Amino acid sequence: MDAYTIGVLTNIGLFSFVALSAYLLLVAGELSFGQQAFFGVGAYAGGIFTAMYGWPLPLAALAAMTLGALAQFLVGLPTLRLRGLYFAMSTLAAAEMARILFELLHFQREVKGELTGPDGTQGFRGIRWIFEHGIEPIDYLGMVVGLLAVVLAGFFLVERSRLGATLRGVGQDPELAASLGIDIQRVKLGVAAAAGALAALGGVLYAHHNTYIEPRNFDIMLGVHSLAYALIGGLGTAFGPLLGVVLDIGALEGSRVFHDYRMIVFGGLVALLLVFRPRGLLDERMVRWLRARLP
Amino acid sequence: MLADLIQNTLDGLSIGAAYALLALGFTLIFGVLRRANLSYGAAIMFGCYCATWTHLNFGAGLLLLAAITVAGTVLAGAYVERLCFAPHRGGSMIAAMVASFALWMQFEELVTLVMPTHLYAFPALYEGAPLAFGPYTLRVDALVMFGAAIAACALLWGTLYRTRFGLAVRAVTEQPAAASLAGINLPWVYVRVFALASAIGGVAGYLVVASHGQITPMLGMWSTLKGLLAMMLGGLGSLPGAVVGGLALGLLEAHSQWFLGPQLRDLIAYLLLFVLLAARVPWMHTRSAS
Amino acid sequence: MSLLKIQDVVTAYGKIEALKGVSLEVAPGSITCLLGPNGAGKTTLMMTVAGILKPRKGGISFAGEEIAGRAPHDIVARGVALVPENRLVFPAMTVLENLLAGAYQRGDKKAVAEDIDRMYARFPRLRERSAQHAGTLSGGEQQMLAVARALMSRPRLLLMDEPSLGLAPLVVEEIFRIIAELHRDGVSIFFVEQNAHMALKVAQHFFLIEQGRISFSGTPGALAEDEVIRRAYLGSAQQ
Ligand SMILES: Nc1ncnc2c1ncn2[C@@H]1O[C@H](COP(=O)(O)OP(=O)(O)OP(=O)(O)O)[C@@H](O)[C@H]1O
Ligand SMILES: [Mg+2]
Repeated sequence: MDAYTIGVLTNIGLFSFVALSAYLLLVAGELSFGQQAFFGVGAYAGGIFTAMYGWPLPLAALAAMTLGALAQFLVGLPTLRLRGLYFAMSTLAAAEMARILFELLHFQREVKGELTGPDGTQGFRGIRWIFEHGIEPIDYLGMVVGLLAVVLAGFFLVERSRLGATLRGVGQDPELAASLGIDIQRVKLGVAAAAGALAALGGVLYAHHNTYIEPRNFDIMLGVHSLAYALIGGLGTAFGPLLGVVLDIGALEGSRVFHDYRMIVFGGLVALLLVFRPRGLLDERMVRWLRARLP
Repeated sequence: MLADLIQNTLDGLSIGAAYALLALGFTLIFGVLRRANLSYGAAIMFGCYCATWTHLNFGAGLLLLAAITVAGTVLAGAYVERLCFAPHRGGSMIAAMVASFALWMQFEELVTLVMPTHLYAFPALYEGAPLAFGPYTLRVDALVMFGAAIAACALLWGTLYRTRFGLAVRAVTEQPAAASLAGINLPWVYVRVFALASAIGGVAGYLVVASHGQITPMLGMWSTLKGLLAMMLGGLGSLPGAVVGGLALGLLEAHSQWFLGPQLRDLIAYLLLFVLLAARVPWMHTRSAS
Repeated sequence: MSLLKIQDVVTAYGKIEALKGVSLEVAPGSITCLLGPNGAGKTTLMMTVAGILKPRKGGISFAGEEIAGRAPHDIVARGVALVPENRLVFPAMTVLENLLAGAYQRGDKKAVAEDIDRMYARFPRLRERSAQHAGTLSGGEQQMLAVARALMSRPRLLLMDEPSLGLAPLVVEEIFRIIAELHRDGVSIFFVEQNAHMALKVAQHFFLIEQGRISFSGTPGALAEDEVIRRAYLGSAQQ
């Protein structure tokens, strides 16, 4: 594989994590414009742990995921009772606050004679753990894909369990779910924490892939893209968000024909697609249809 | 100190008037459709770029540029309505919102393809020296912006509260089922409200761009965020709330920028929104948005 | 010939059929009452006739013209007005504006103004509260307003969905007095009611709907004689 293809594939993998976090919330009935914040928390935290304190990447990733989960849990605590657009706006407000806080974050120390760490709007350079440890791009791609496979396996296990049914129930008919004795707030807080952890994992991987991050990477564009990925791919299965990312980054970034007006083509396709399939390509009905035909 | 406070208040009111217009456009659309139009700001940006392009290629007077901005925004709004909102009436709110975001991306790429420089000059509303009143100065363009925004608000007010169409808009906003039982043609109202909201957005966009004397593609995101923020602060779906929310946001920003700088200014606005949402202040929960 | 003719109408919410083939007729110049237990499909039927819900199957004709599947504003234009369940007044609009909204399709300003005066004469409380927001009215006043708003379109057939719901007995009496008055003025009325005692005083024909199907059709006399219905809807008081 050439470096370009590896880069595109790695990006697809990275952004799948945020898309999955938006998908998870959508399944539980919540619309978030703010998953970029937790992606950012993961990126910054992971970078700080490896580049500034020399932690190994796996440990840094775990810590960053914990922080991401905690952050979204705390943000969700006062807002998850809000509905629809109110909740969506609260996530947007939280995410914009996070972005501005990244801009205000000046926290550097000397590592091997070089000043390292987040430097406000100047960004955070030198997150070089994978290069320092001689990990080739292809191997990093393998790691990303491996982690994604683990996460997807987790999704499928949950979807087939009672917990999965509970989640969809809470998302589609909260009144009914509440009348069955389900504590909706608790379920949603759990979902929020999981979504925060997922987005943060994506962020850690992103920071180490790029070696450089800046606050602008985590603006609302990323958040709404994640939402769009989840929706166009389809809300019927965890493969949906993946398909969304592949369609955007893969098919259009990969094909040189469309490169210059990728967003014009993609944007139009998305809007048209949603006219005919408002719950995405792989919606619940399509998934049922496929299940009946696939072994 | 007092002079600064007064100066900031004047500045805040003047940008706040533009925010109020943006919020009014959002609120009108949200009120009748119960959906947020994420490409609202992008359509405004498209309209402003139409005017910039005309100015660069042919040169044109201020009024003509304003008219082109409004026309371009309404055109873009019509495209958004047809593709994102008409197909999802009574259907999925999320699909409509994501579709409108997709078109935002289209508009942004379109303008950067046609006009690739990041920043273009835009004919300023007024280029002379500011007016001085003792220790206070007043930028004439800020004054014009304030006056024009107030005039646009007044015009909208007249439309909504003194015309048959306005009666229909308010009826649909309050109680869509009863409005159609009263004989009001809902799709007809939707389309016209979209055009009206786009025209208001075009006016707001023109005023902002002309008072800054420049335009960048960031205008799209900026307008959407400011409009959403002001609409939410004033109470979702409330027209007087949109005006109050816009002016309040302008004042808050002007004062916090003076005391704390531009980054904290934005932080404080979002923090306020977050806290008010979490506290569920009663005026913000006027409409069902679920 | 009947004024309203409903034939084999099926209306569904998603997969659940709330009307499973309803047929009935309303004679011109009559007061017809639709009785039925909670969840039987009464509101669904009214909304289907008014065009808010689209029937999946079947036909609805009004004055000989097919109206099934038409838009609500079109059906209003043909002379059918519905006073919806729970009244649904426009709460932040004034009483006067509510009435004007009811006359939305009419271009004749002068006649509209006269009709408003007529409404105020019939409902004096509304005149007193003309400039007040409808949301500040009492339940009974809101019901009067909802009726007046529907009348502003000058309907030939007035549909009413549980007009007495949640109102005090005196107000209920007044509502029924108004129904009788409107009938005298030549409006045909087809209304939903759970209070069969009151309905018996005004209605000339009854339909009973149960689980989405019409299970009885007959005169007040026939209704009062039916043992089962009497027990379910008239209680012991009628013995
Ligand atoms: N929006 C809806 N979505 C799904 N099912 C509905 C909806 N509205 C009504 N139903 C169902 O359709 C059936 C008929 O409802 P409908 O409201 O027509 O009954 P009703 O006779 O008017 O009852 P009530 O006396 O309580 O007003 C009920 O089983 C109800 O649960
Ligand atoms: Mg009912």
